[in-house]
Amino acid sequence: MKKKKDLHTTEHAAGNGKMSFKKQEAGHKTWYKLDLSAIVYPTLQRRDFSSVYRLSVLLKEPISPDLLQQATDIALTRFPTYKTAIRRGLFWRYLEPNDRPGPFVQEDIRNFCMPMPFKAGNRYLLRIYYHGCRISLEAHHCLGDGTGGMAVLQTITAVYLRLLGHSISNEYFVMDVNESPDPEELEDAYMRYANAKVCPARPGEKTYRVRGTKEPFYTFNVIDGIMSVSEVMQVAKKYNASITEYLNAVLLYALLKKQQSERHLKLRPVKIAMPVNLRRFFPSKTLRNFITMIYPGIDPRLGDYTFEEIITQVHHYMRYYINEKFLRGDITTNASTQRNPFIRIVPLFVKDFVVRMFYTKVQDRNSSAGLTNMGALKVPEDMKPFIERFDIYMGQPFSSRTNCAIISFEDTLTINFASSIIESDVERFFFRKLVKDGVHVKIESNRA
Amino acid sequence: MSYCVNCGVELDTSLESCPLCHTPIINPNELQKKKAPSPYPVKTGQVDVVKRKDLGLFAFIVLSATAISCLLLNLFVFSGSPWSLFIIGVCLILFVLIIPAVIYTKLPIYISLLFDGIAVGIYLYMISFNTADDGWFRKLALPIVVLVTILVEIFTLLIRTLPVSFVTTALYFFAEAALLCIGLELLIDRYMGAPLHLVWSAIVLTVCSVIIVLLITVLCIRRLREAVRRRLHF
Repeated sequence: MKKKKDLHTTEHAAGNGKMSFKKQEAGHKTWYKLDLSAIVYPTLQRRDFSSVYRLSVLLKEPISPDLLQQATDIALTRFPTYKTAIRRGLFWRYLEPNDRPGPFVQEDIRNFCMPMPFKAGNRYLLRIYYHGCRISLEAHHCLGDGTGGMAVLQTITAVYLRLLGHSISNEYFVMDVNESPDPEELEDAYMRYANAKVCPARPGEKTYRVRGTKEPFYTFNVIDGIMSVSEVMQVAKKYNASITEYLNAVLLYALLKKQQSERHLKLRPVKIAMPVNLRRFFPSKTLRNFITMIYPGIDPRLGDYTFEEIITQVHHYMRYYINEKFLRGDITTNASTQRNPFIRIVPLFVKDFVVRMFYTKVQDRNSSAGLTNMGALKVPEDMKPFIERFDIYMGQPFSSRTNCAIISFEDTLTINFASSIIESDVERFFFRKLVKDGVHVKIESNRA
Repeated sequence: MSYCVNCGVELDTSLESCPLCHTPIINPNELQKKKAPSPYPVKTGQVDVVKRKDLGLFAFIVLSATAISCLLLNLFVFSGSPWSLFIIGVCLILFVLIIPAVIYTKLPIYISLLFDGIAVGIYLYMISFNTADDGWFRKLALPIVVLVTILVEIFTLLIRTLPVSFVTTALYFFAEAALLCIGLELLIDRYMGAPLHLVWSAIVLTVCSVIIVLLITVLCIRRLREAVRRRLHF
């Protein structure tokens, strides 16, 4: 019965989307429940922290702000869940279509991913920036994950290029702006697949935490490493690993070195929180969140690890955990909390308090750093000549640490480190290791 | 094009020192060269689960220990009257209540609700059996238990078969509350031997009717219905 009911609500939410245009014409407002992971992000909102990520595309010619504004207005009609405002209910938050003017494109700023208060900026949860040849999109994580955001960014870029007179086809992340959105794009896909018969326990172990001097409020330090995909691929092959596995191992190695350099009396395991795109395993067109976390790591208390051992460990961990069965178990565990009637009936402020407490005391301590790999980005063939490269930033870390995001386009692999601490030791160990392995790295940074 | 002497990475022309190790970049051949603009903007932005089996076992042990110890006390220590039967009865009711939640979860909810009603009925009968009875069990307690059980069963049926929302649940709740109050007053009147008149339950009925009409209006007007659903979804 419970399952039936959940299925009903999913269909209901999806159905809402399908009817959104008709309804809006009739003066009725549709609304969207937050998806399973989106529930957590608004809870963690602080005066100096929001779960905001940034995706940017570097074109080959300078951006015209007026055309970009036009392109944004046209493209956003295709993404009803992105043109929304977040509101509080008695038990849960929800997204409501936002008819206020905006979002307006603005000149880019130095401190990316700055906090996004829900009531500011005409209540929009996304910002669009331009700077030189770069278009950037910042979105609150409660709207959707990197894949959803990338669809928005690429569609805006495609419309922008079309306004410039180029012909761009609708393919991969570029959506047809003349079509109405597919209900499946608006669904909470977690609920469709959270149907394992058992809820495996969540991993919970205190890990090593990077200590650093906090930068003043409104500072966002970025170090980008730009390299060739084929070079990294060659090095990874030498270790019999994929690019993700190799880069994960390098980050673990950097974190280990950092822990060693700090001369702790008590060593702790080093783990990385890595989001996995569930669309690879569970077919869904959703543009909202559909990711889950895995935690590859090593325990230096067991002995000294050589780099080869780290890479073998990461390689096997990934092969073991990233499969449809384990991931299904993981999302079922997460969904079971939300489905529990006792939790559902608790007022929102109590939920907020408990979730924040759990996140700070358990979830955040479960990993030493974050790493995300969007992989090789697919772009329509006729759009490729206009694009130089893509960048992705995981956003401000919740605690004082560093987050690493990887994306590749054609033969350019970009590794973007984001942190709000002064020290850049992890980044140094990371890039030095890459250089040592024979990869040519070019560094760009906004650090003074 | 400069490289950091420590890190070996190529550095963007806009950088004056390596961001990784802070070593300044000095190219003896290009000391006078002007720094290239940074690819980044300069402007700073301003912001505007409990394990069920364990619980079942725990509840079973606590309830049975309470029942047994009271029985033993009643038999050997305070053996004046059969007081332990009341406590054993309560333990039994609690046990029946928690069966569907923690012990046998596959039991259809209608049957477990029926069992709950029967357990309460048996307990009341036991009280009437142990005390001086003037027919209150037969005339008052039993009909009330039957009435409440039927109303609860209907409520469950409605919730489980018809589409559920906050408003419909409230509607069923208030309709049943009105029915329950009317039933209670009529049964009490019959027990007291008074003529069957609605007095206090008429007030409840009026209040419930107002609420029911309000809820039906909300259900009929989509705009209102959606506003309520948005604000109260859980």
